[in-house]
Amino acid sequence: MSEQKRTPENDGRDFADAAWSVPAYLMSGILVWGGFGWLLSHWTGVYAFIPIGVILGVGLAVYLVYLKHGR
Amino acid sequence: MITPTLLLATLPFKAPEPGGFHAPGPDIFELPPLWEGAPTWLTKPTLLAMFSAVLLVVLFWGAFGNPKIVPRGLQNIGEIGYMFVREQVGRPFLGKDTDRFMPLLVSIFFMVLVWNLMGVIPFIQFPVASHIAFPIVLAVSVYLLRIVLGMKIQGPIGFFKNMMFPPGVPKAVYILLAPIEFLSNLILAPATHALRLFANMFAGHMILAFFSAVGFYFIFEDFGLLGLPVGVLGTVMTILMTALEIFIQFLQAFLFAMLAAMYIGNALHAEH
Repeated sequence: MSEQKRTPENDGRDFADAAWSVPAYLMSGILVWGGFGWLLSHWTGVYAFIPIGVILGVGLAVYLVYLKHGR
Repeated sequence: MITPTLLLATLPFKAPEPGGFHAPGPDIFELPPLWEGAPTWLTKPTLLAMFSAVLLVVLFWGAFGNPKIVPRGLQNIGEIGYMFVREQVGRPFLGKDTDRFMPLLVSIFFMVLVWNLMGVIPFIQFPVASHIAFPIVLAVSVYLLRIVLGMKIQGPIGFFKNMMFPPGVPKAVYILLAPIEFLSNLILAPATHALRLFANMFAGHMILAFFSAVGFYFIFEDFGLLGLPVGVLGTVMTILMTALEIFIQFLQAFLFAMLAAMYIGNALHAEH
């Protein structure tokens, strides 16, 4: 939804929105995909799924922040 | 014969015996009902919460009950407070919709501020929000308002679609991104909203209780060569920490209201 005009007011809101949502996104990324990796490692016995999941989660979270606030 | 050991023993110094100084623990938050036979919910925090509400009603009634064009006295202070919330909390997030939400934002900000300040007012000295139930009720109210408003303005499906599916991404990637959005927006955001206020007030009260307990114990109960400097240090730290705590109490009230405005703003304008 980028029909909004880029006024200084909207810029301020974007900046604050981004600043406050980044930690929540990082945490969620780690929890969701790290948790999924933990489940996989639990079922398969392959321990490496946990770090893979965590790193995937962080990467996706950063990508999400870019999608929402960086463009 | 006077040995150094004997000499030491005559000095007013006592080794802290086991069972001497007790650092206050989380039990300082477990308060009994106000009097014998009172309902179990009627404790100091609930009394303070009700007292804060009455105090705010009286203050704002005094400020705006009979407004003058040229403000004087209490109205001046009330207007400064209102302007602060409007310009610093509302406008940056709500823009032209700010005025509609000012009653809510002013109430939230000043309610939390008074709750927090109860932590440093002498003889009261208990921050209401250090009982997590209070911030949870406020945060849940804001959360419900945000979801209802968002579903009303962006449509029941549109609200969640705008929130969880940012445009311009290949469809397959949504499988990876949507769970993160869901967790962060609908679960972690409201949880941290309440937890941030609670944890700050809880920790602040513990710190103040610890340093004042140190000051009191070592000056009044274990006064001696080592006790005195420790006691004085505890007292000085209590004063410094109280100043810091007043700042944090204000900051947390501001952040709580600001995040409320931000969540409402997200419901009003679709994220992009």
